Amino acid sequence: MTSPEGSGPRVVSRSARAEEYVFGALVVGLGVFTLVDATSIAARGSMGAVGPRAFPYAVGVLLVVTGVAAVVATARGRLGSAEDAEDVDPAVRTDWVTVAKLVAVLVAHLVLIDVAGWPVAAVALFFGAAWSLGAVWWKALGVAVVLALVVQVLFASGLGLSLPAGVLEGVPLLDG
Amino acid sequence: MGSLGALLEGFATAAQPEYLLYALLGVTLGTAVGVLPGIGPAMTVALLLPLTYSLEPTAALIIFAGIYYGGMYGGSTTSILLNTPGESSSVVTALEGNRMARAGRGAAALATAAIGSFVAGTIATVLLTALAPSIAELAVTLGPADYVALMVVAFTTVAALLGASPARGLASLALGLFLGLVGTDTLTGQQRFTLGVPTLSDGIDVVVVAVGVFAVGEALYVAARLRHGPVEVVPVGGRWMTGEFWRRSWKPWLRGTAIGFPIGTIPAGGADVSTFLSYAVEKKLAKRPEEFGRGAIEGVAGPEAANNAAAAGVLVPLLTLGLPTTATAAVIVAGFQSYGIQPGPLLFTDDSALVWALIASLYIGNVMLLVLNLPLVRIWVKVLQIPRPYLYAGILLFAALGTYAVNFVVDDLVVLLVIGVAGLFMRRRGYPVAPLVVGLILGPMAEEQVRRTLQIGQGDPVALVTSPFAAVAYGLLAVALVVTVVLRVRRDA
Repeated sequence: MTSPEGSGPRVVSRSARAEEYVFGALVVGLGVFTLVDATSIAARGSMGAVGPRAFPYAVGVLLVVTGVAAVVATARGRLGSAEDAEDVDPAVRTDWVTVAKLVAVLVAHLVLIDVAGWPVAAVALFFGAAWSLGAVWWKALGVAVVLALVVQVLFASGLGLSLPAGVLEGVPLLDG
Repeated sequence: MGSLGALLEGFATAAQPEYLLYALLGVTLGTAVGVLPGIGPAMTVALLLPLTYSLEPTAALIIFAGIYYGGMYGGSTTSILLNTPGESSSVVTALEGNRMARAGRGAAALATAAIGSFVAGTIATVLLTALAPSIAELAVTLGPADYVALMVVAFTTVAALLGASPARGLASLALGLFLGLVGTDTLTGQQRFTLGVPTLSDGIDVVVVAVGVFAVGEALYVAARLRHGPVEVVPVGGRWMTGEFWRRSWKPWLRGTAIGFPIGTIPAGGADVSTFLSYAVEKKLAKRPEEFGRGAIEGVAGPEAANNAAAAGVLVPLLTLGLPTTATAAVIVAGFQSYGIQPGPLLFTDDSALVWALIASLYIGNVMLLVLNLPLVRIWVKVLQIPRPYLYAGILLFAALGTYAVNFVVDDLVVLLVIGVAGLFMRRRGYPVAPLVVGLILGPMAEEQVRRTLQIGQGDPVALVTSPFAAVAYGLLAVALVVTVVLRVRRDA
């Protein structure tokens, strides 16, 4: 009952370490990109004053230094600790398949907005995400359709911001 | 006093039926979304921000204020009734409040949290009313070098002093500063880091980043390790308010307020630090310290009060200096900016009617929240039980909607997705996300002030430290750094 979850020495898995190195390296990489790209910013009439390059240089240096520091800390075995959240089960392994599904669903959403309109894209996003996370498919689909239509109507009528109706263009209430 | 008259005028504005309705809408939305697990105050404000775009500024700011305070109240209900801790600012509440709820005293825990939040929120708002105008007057006299100093202090405390890993905190800050660089340079009109993409030439919208890092990042993070099965909510039991309840609660409320407000006003990480301090103080002063860890009401009353007092305290530097010291405050600044209003010393002179209506609505919102929270707690319990697949699908849908509604361009959704994936890995690897958001909003301001300082000082960097105010600020920062390093070394030794 009162036993803290995940007690005992934290096992530093190899994949956690690899992830840590990759993320640190990406921070360093972004820093290098910042430094290199900053040189292409034209500094016209550079008098004593600070031009448009100085701040990017500083940010680039900070990225490189902190990224290197994170990599060094990892090498010494001091890994960052994952954040806790109410719905996270610390005992299970990372389910990358679900993450990939969610990313795919978001990509589908942003493609569909221009192709088929917001309502269709919204149904795809909600249904896809809820289903990937384990909801019963027909319930998820029902909720998705209702939610998308309600939001579409609210935006078109209430907020005065109209979302592209796409395939539903010209339908009263839905097309603002 | 002039500010009292201005406040009364603010009340006259905020008490108009239309604005009361907006305030009610704000606190209700704020509480409802704040109750949802996994959604902290920053995410609540970021998700709901786009909804206010079609409103006039006063109405929008009144809604923000309601969402801000409502989100704070909602979070405590979650941590008391849900079996799993979350959201850092209310973790200590979870500790004691959750134990109380399990011991069948959930009602008393909820009541002390709600009434304590009301007492602290109201006192802190009074302090805000009293202090803000004079601080704003003082702030008008500050030069660009002084602002640079304040921002350096904010950057350092938010990124390096508070987190577990200073390197990761600073890396997160640097990522935010980088995102702030993208766009058109204000002084020379040149594009920087836009990769030739036209959408990026206007810069990356703070709302998009905040929604990406909080909503999408969090949803992906939770999805990777979702707790399956039914949601366990502790039933609300016991008596609401007894004589003992009041006797044991009122002092912690006041002490929590006294701790929370000052900590909120300085850039010291806002709510988190104050709740931990308040908890420690209550434990030390308790007549029955053995109850702590097993459901001591003082351990809920104090930290909850401190949490809300700090939330009001954060508004002091936000409104008077334009300096956000927490992620939530940074999102609020973005909200102000979307109306072309820059929070800062001139706010009290240029937009006086607006800012006083906002402050008046904080008082009104607090009363509404007290009424809303206690009798309606059964509704919030229902909200807590939303099945998780639907909850996170909903978060993703509204995150995408909010982002799309900023400019109605699909490109923003690409940025949202990239930031969201970055947010996922930051959470997994212990990079705090708050410094990123603070860096993004303060970075461009800091750059401008540095350039202005050096222009005045004709390129001499010494100009950055010669003003007395700046010198004092750097001095205090140096002291804080040394103290922190010493404490860390001692703890590790």
